[in-house]
Amino acid sequence: MRNPDFIERLCRRLVELGCPLAQVRRLVREVADHREDLKQAALAEGLSGPGAEARTDVQLGDPLYLAERLMAAQRRSSWWGRHYVVAFGLLPVLAFPVLWLLLLLLQMVLAFALGYGWDEKKLDVAVNDPMTFQYVLMAFQFIDYVAVALVAFLFCWLARRAAVSLNWMVTACAVCSFLALFTWGKIEPHSFFVGFTADSHLHLQWLRGAIPLAVAGAIYVFQRRTTRRFQEQVPA
Amino acid sequence: MVRGNIASMKKTNPSFLNGIPELLVLRLLTAREMYGYQIVEEIRTRTGESLSFGEGCIYPYLHYLEAQKQVSSQRREVAGRSRNYYKLTARGRKRLEALSSEWKRVTSGVALLMGEQYA
Repeated sequence: MRNPDFIERLCRRLVELGCPLAQVRRLVREVADHREDLKQAALAEGLSGPGAEARTDVQLGDPLYLAERLMAAQRRSSWWGRHYVVAFGLLPVLAFPVLWLLLLLLQMVLAFALGYGWDEKKLDVAVNDPMTFQYVLMAFQFIDYVAVALVAFLFCWLARRAAVSLNWMVTACAVCSFLALFTWGKIEPHSFFVGFTADSHLHLQWLRGAIPLAVAGAIYVFQRRTTRRFQEQVPA
Repeated sequence: MVRGNIASMKKTNPSFLNGIPELLVLRLLTAREMYGYQIVEEIRTRTGESLSFGEGCIYPYLHYLEAQKQVSSQRREVAGRSRNYYKLTARGRKRLEALSSEWKRVTSGVALLMGEQYA
């Protein structure tokens, strides 16, 4: 019996499994080409149109199983996909402080190099003027948040690229969130401090902790909406 | 029949069997660029139909090999049909050499054990 929605079912399952959409398009196109080749071969052997399609679908097998195989291959092809527990459960514990600090310093160096209020003359003025120094503090706080968000975003990107489930992406961000509560950076006139603390006296630590969760939430919602929109386009 | 299940193969089969689909695909691509359907057909015909991939099963292998940079792909239009052609890379050639020597070692070992009629 002909299975009229082989390609649609493959497509839907790939999206459900969290396959990036560009990859879905490519996979589906290749399998559709293959299906057409099989159909042409069956027609050349003298089968009727519906008969050829029915044989083609039997030869291609279960589209849901095929989708899972394709996703497994994608996961297996990267270290992140093969070792997802380590990569998204344990590695963020070590990587978050290092990456956060690197990104923080990089942004400071960039801001200084580009002269956005961080050149030496302006800093000297800022140091001696509490009002101006407040702006420097605000700028520092902003780049601190950006660094936290970038680390979370990096893990989300790696999780999507490795085709692991969204739960692992959220796990990595939850670890980043937890660590963001206890890492801190601070500038004072002529000084710059970073460190770990379990003390909650530092202002707005909760906001730092919320940033990775917000990043994960935004990507999760985006992915879910994309999946739903895609599924609406493809008939069940 | 080479029925590839990448996930279960690793758990259930001895390691030397894992590389067979990879070996076959890389070997075929040494001769010329091919697309998925052609590869499946070539394996079927050149092995006298004693080995065959499930039709869709070739793509997980091809995409895995591409991710490992052992093959590269390019979409091209030939005779009015647009298809993804796969080509062997230098890394793929090295991998093929390694897999081939491993395969020779395994088959000669099995032949010794099984006796001359299986050699």
